[in-house]
Amino acid sequence: MIRFNNVTKVYGNDTVALERINLEIDPGEFVFLVGASGSGKSTIVRLILKEMEPSAGSIFVNDSRLSSVPRRRVPRLRREIGCVFQDFKLLPNKTASENVAYAMEVTGQKRRTIRTKVPQILDLVGLSVKMDKYPGQLSGGEQQRVSIARAFVSQPPILVADEPTGNLDPNTSVGIMQLLHRINRIGTTVVVATHDREMVDVMRKRVVALDEGRIVRDKVKGAYADEV
Amino acid sequence: MRFNLGFFLTEAFKNIRLNLLMSLTAVTTTFICILVLGLGLLVSDHIQGIIGSVREDVSVEVFPPDATSQELDALANKVEGWPEVSRVTEVSEGEAFAEFKDQFKDQPDLYKDLDQGVLPASVQIQLEDPGTANQVAEKLKQEGFTEDDLSYPQQTIDRLNSVTSVVIWGLYGATLLFLIASVLLISNAIRLSIFARRQEIEVMKLVGASDGFVRTPFVFEGLLQGLVGSLLAALAVIWINYLFIDWAHDALPFVPVSDAAVNAPLMLLTLVVAGVGIGVIGSFLSVTRFLRKI
Repeated sequence: MIRFNNVTKVYGNDTVALERINLEIDPGEFVFLVGASGSGKSTIVRLILKEMEPSAGSIFVNDSRLSSVPRRRVPRLRREIGCVFQDFKLLPNKTASENVAYAMEVTGQKRRTIRTKVPQILDLVGLSVKMDKYPGQLSGGEQQRVSIARAFVSQPPILVADEPTGNLDPNTSVGIMQLLHRINRIGTTVVVATHDREMVDVMRKRVVALDEGRIVRDKVKGAYADEV
Repeated sequence: MRFNLGFFLTEAFKNIRLNLLMSLTAVTTTFICILVLGLGLLVSDHIQGIIGSVREDVSVEVFPPDATSQELDALANKVEGWPEVSRVTEVSEGEAFAEFKDQFKDQPDLYKDLDQGVLPASVQIQLEDPGTANQVAEKLKQEGFTEDDLSYPQQTIDRLNSVTSVVIWGLYGATLLFLIASVLLISNAIRLSIFARRQEIEVMKLVGASDGFVRTPFVFEGLLQGLVGSLLAALAVIWINYLFIDWAHDALPFVPVSDAAVNAPLMLLTLVVAGVGIGVIGSFLSVTRFLRKI
């Protein structure tokens, strides 16, 4: 599903963010990318979304080599990948339901489909009563649930999340993680970059630990830190 | 992909409402630029109209210096025999003065202190065809009259051209500068409004919106702003045109200003197309430039 072959990313001239990373993620997997700030987690997420190009090596997403995807095909690639961010990245001038609907409108779906699908997905994330509220009127946890609904509404095969609980309190974080877990259970490949130790330990999923741009540990049913 | 006009228009209207001040700036800028462009076109249309109506004039006038009435008669008789000429009239000093008084009967101040002899006697030659005016003038010069003794259309046109060409080129120059300024101002206004929404655009791109999908609402926005601004300006130009024609008929009765000189619907269309074009091109360019950067 996602494959990194010897990927190196250097920012500017000398800041090495990733160094010769090899990583393979199978369809339907749930993977945590863990590590301290600056270890390269976010760089991996941004490379998957083709927000930038690697300095060396190649990345495959859904069997297509990202470096040979032309600029005009990037939107199509992004529709295959739902994404969730620490700062939610909701459109401030649109209500919760309009934000979710926008992700469907960009793919040119029928108005009728959008009208039935959006309330369903907002119901699924538990926000059906607040669908006409603007992001500014919602709490952090609620905004993150809207952004997950948006990422998932077109049922993409892959969902990537960059610090989805970074701005949230522990109780709210549990809800978000449960939501991601449910999305994974119906077959979506989920990649979560996080340094939320508690969450990683509770979930017992595959953990890929990064340190200064290298993979230092890759363990199925792992924990945040090394278990002795 | 389906082209969802309703969605794009709704988005454009929403953007305009949310960024009302910026939209007003863009509309005002368009308004001023199109107004100046329209006034330039108006002036040049009227000058062309005046030149056209002078060219249609079928008369040549001769003012023989210090001529007696016998000399006038002799000249009139001779000219009457020429094939280009349809009719010849002699105008004595007294008749010329009477005609002048008649033309300005509303403004007696103009002539109340004047003598009869101030206006020269003349022979007015009516031609069959206005195109022959220059030949007839040449013939009269061979008869010993100088350029100053004659009045014929080409003279008036040359004089008009020497005065107006400066004015017209000045206007064209000013119009061009204003057009350039307006494209810059509008694309700048749009760029500012895009910059204010850059995060929004980045988010749109992240959820898989194509460049075209992000751009279309902005282009519609530019189109609507251009349309409103230029339509108001075009209506103002046409209104100013009618005010000018009315004023000219009263204040400049001997200048052939005609309301036929300006084709009002064509003027309206030209200005609106120019305004819409500026809005569309300006917004398209600035969004495309921004999209390349992310």
